[in-house]
Amino acid sequence: MKKHTGVIRAIITLHLPVLLIVLFATGPYIWSFISSITPEKDMYKGGVSYFPENPTTRNYSRLFSKINFAENLKDSLIVATFAMLFGLAMSVTASYSFSRFQFKGRKPLLIQFLVINMFPIVLLLVPLFIIMSRFHIRDTYIALVFAYATFSIPFSTWMMTSFFNAIPRELDEQAKIDGCNRFTAMVRVVIPIALPGIAATAIYIFITAWNEFVFASVLTGKSVRTIPIALQNMVGQYQIEWGLLTAGGVVSAIPVIILFFFIQKQLISGMTAGAVKG
Amino acid sequence: MIRALRRKTDLYPYSLLLPALTVTTFIIFIPLVYTFGLSFFNYVIWKPHEIKFVFLGNYKKALEDEVFWISFRNTLIWIAGVISLQLVLGFITALLLNRQFFWRSLARSLILIPWVTPSVITALMWRWLYDGNSGLINDILVRLGILDRYFPWLANGSTALPAIMFALMWQGFPFFTVMILAGLQAIPTELYEVAKVDGANPMQMFFHITLPMLMPILLTTILLRTIWVANSLDIIFIMTGGGPGYASHTLPLYSYIRAYKGLDFGYASTIAVYLTLLLVMIVTMYVIRILKTEERFR
Amino acid sequence: MKKTAALFLLGIIVSTLLFAGGKQEASGKKEAEVQSVNFWFHLDDPEARVDSLIQKFEQENPGIKIEAERVPWDAYHQRLLTAVTAGSPPDVSQVKLWWQPQLVELKALEPLDKWISTWQGRNDIYDRVWELTRYTDGKQYLMPLQMVILYMYYRTDMFKKLGLSIPETREEFLDVAKKLTRDTNGDGNVDVYGFGIRGARGGHDWWGAFVLSSGANFEKGGLTTPEAIAANQWFIDLYRVHKVSPPTTPNDGFKEIIANMQSGRTATTIHHIGSAKGMVDALGDKISAFPVPEGTEGRWTSFGDEENAIFSASKVKEAAWKWISFLATKENNLTWQKASGQISVNKSNAEADYGELSRFVKATTESADFAGVLPAHPATAEFVESVWPTTMQRAFLGEITSKEMMEIFEKHFYGE
Repeated sequence: MKKHTGVIRAIITLHLPVLLIVLFATGPYIWSFISSITPEKDMYKGGVSYFPENPTTRNYSRLFSKINFAENLKDSLIVATFAMLFGLAMSVTASYSFSRFQFKGRKPLLIQFLVINMFPIVLLLVPLFIIMSRFHIRDTYIALVFAYATFSIPFSTWMMTSFFNAIPRELDEQAKIDGCNRFTAMVRVVIPIALPGIAATAIYIFITAWNEFVFASVLTGKSVRTIPIALQNMVGQYQIEWGLLTAGGVVSAIPVIILFFFIQKQLISGMTAGAVKG
Repeated sequence: MIRALRRKTDLYPYSLLLPALTVTTFIIFIPLVYTFGLSFFNYVIWKPHEIKFVFLGNYKKALEDEVFWISFRNTLIWIAGVISLQLVLGFITALLLNRQFFWRSLARSLILIPWVTPSVITALMWRWLYDGNSGLINDILVRLGILDRYFPWLANGSTALPAIMFALMWQGFPFFTVMILAGLQAIPTELYEVAKVDGANPMQMFFHITLPMLMPILLTTILLRTIWVANSLDIIFIMTGGGPGYASHTLPLYSYIRAYKGLDFGYASTIAVYLTLLLVMIVTMYVIRILKTEERFR
Repeated sequence: MKKTAALFLLGIIVSTLLFAGGKQEASGKKEAEVQSVNFWFHLDDPEARVDSLIQKFEQENPGIKIEAERVPWDAYHQRLLTAVTAGSPPDVSQVKLWWQPQLVELKALEPLDKWISTWQGRNDIYDRVWELTRYTDGKQYLMPLQMVILYMYYRTDMFKKLGLSIPETREEFLDVAKKLTRDTNGDGNVDVYGFGIRGARGGHDWWGAFVLSSGANFEKGGLTTPEAIAANQWFIDLYRVHKVSPPTTPNDGFKEIIANMQSGRTATTIHHIGSAKGMVDALGDKISAFPVPEGTEGRWTSFGDEENAIFSASKVKEAAWKWISFLATKENNLTWQKASGQISVNKSNAEADYGELSRFVKATTESADFAGVLPAHPATAEFVESVWPTTMQRAFLGEITSKEMMEIFEKHFYGE
């Protein structure tokens, strides 16, 4: 009996609310999926249709055979991965410095990172375009990797600084007593414990890069075409390819979801490992 | 203890900062200074002969501009509304997903979907969901008997902005969840074990351990999110274009429209500077608070 | 704060060095044997390709390579302006007519007259098209590429059922629209609306058909005459008083307009040949077309268009000219329209077979004589993109009167 009430309680306080939130989060996505398998001519048949009568995979085959969506996925994957690695490398070191050292100009620099983030970046396009042209990196992966990594730095530096701050400093001291220098103390002791935070920041940078449209549309052209550009191409002046667009949206979310599914296993085990060491 | 590390000519902390500082200088700082400079000019690029230095002229003009003030007010509503919606939902979700249950990994991955959906799709999808002629939301509300006829959510001056805010809550709450979850996992489990031994109930543990330990990350997340949300305009632009009328104009949207539709880069930059000033004011309070919290860890 | 100041200084110095370095490098380059022409374009259909045209051109013109780049429509204007402002535009780009004034004022476009005067294909392009695309300084900067003219779509089945005939004047149209606006299933709510008005960006074409045909024009003072204000009031009343357009009107864009027609929510709307195929796919022979009705001073409908322009910064202008004149030539232009879904600018293509769409082509050609464009004024782009929609929406919501609305427009073009 007792076990039984426990199950009911778990359902009411845990499973049901989680289910509702998951439904809310995925509802529009599921609806997108339904749209993507609805034949174009049934789309506006009248009123709302919850399930298509003649489901079709045509939009998905068009996506890969005629639109070359695989190429776009590849470009996005390259850009987002490198932006993530590059952005992390810079922001982890920067935030470790902010978190663990007192030095002249620390606060102004920290605040500076915040203030430059407040300006609407779409207004920076023209000068940025000029700079990228001067460096001859416009329309290359490098342009986007640099842009995304950099625009994520203020954010991830602040994020990581808080995560590092939450780790007791005694651990650093202990590491030094155990024979680590300042660099190895960071790499061997602090970073492993901060792994959940690093993973969260990594996800942030990756997703931001994955979805970014404005910079991609201006800084790249023929050779680099990320997913948002491909999707935007389906929104014409007088016509929206709704079926293709929703199919593209459904497909583009999948790699990130899978990636996150694996990262978070790492994330949990990373945490436990850190806790053991701590 | 940290003060022991401090030496007068220690270049190590600077060297750790160098890569980040170098790239931000080129990619953000120089463009920013350039754009900031434009705000002191009458700079409508298709009127090359009228380009001149007007110093604070644009700043005065903005204060007398009705649309500026409407956008200003909307920006405040936008920030306060979107952040609190995202925070509340994100926090609740994080607490739930921090508990152990068999489909936790799956649930954690699935709630990321809103965040990984490209903005163009999010915006068009919500626009379609809200549609006043065949939208899903209207259909459901009418079926449930809450509405007796379809309502034009995005075409109505008083519901357009809240409707977009709701869509943005959808898009942004997973971000809070991910960050708060990461924060929750960084809390050493020993603290709870000790508290349990001392006979604390879950409520007490939440308010005396979870919340204080989470505070730095929570404050930082809110802070950074405020800046991000304040500046986000793609969803608004696609969903209503700032309309109907000026009902969903925010400062960055207005600035964007002035810059790329009117080619008035001088005035657009001025609006952007005002937005930055507004954010600086909001954030100053915050930063003081965060730096204080930080001190406690020193 | 010292640190920030130092950082700032460093930034300035490095950027100066960098910019200076960039210039030197550029001047050292030699022109290659093969001239490549950067060409920006957009097509609504994501599956449509223009590769065959490029291949054909490159075969006919060895030594020229076309680097075609497809730019998403929503980003097009902004991207072009960014590139122009930053000093590196493409060699050739597809442009809208109402971008022309700004681009000309920016001195970004190359006049084409020297080539056109000796070009054989010149006479095969409609005179009206040349006339509408010529800039106010008398020069021709744009090479016609495709065109559309807006007309009325209507549901033949609904007209038949209610015994309605095609309206010739705007009063007849109002009458028809009122009759079409009705509750079909008896639940007390209106299910079908007589006329789908686009109240969001791009809806100026709907507005123009009724307001610019009834006394309003874009000459100085032409928008604020009593006739113009009355015509505008008439248009606002369609939504506010007669309610012949759905409640969603202020935020309806083309997707909603078309979807409402296809789902039977609206019985008429204004659009052009570009959406004809989708309409026929959804509604078959229940959809047809007629020219927009007559206002108090004749008819006016919007001439939609697209042209190619050569940028003055281009180093391969001769090659660029060959490419854009190639695209404006008979069979090539027709091939282009297969991808664009629009109508050829060549007289010799007038008899081309459009199959099941021919009734829409007919409405288009019948409208050609009274098709007009918005003024060639640098402020037109912003008028279209933001001034018209926001002001129109405010009038629809009752925040401003017809007079205030027209005064805002007048002020936008001619100042205080």
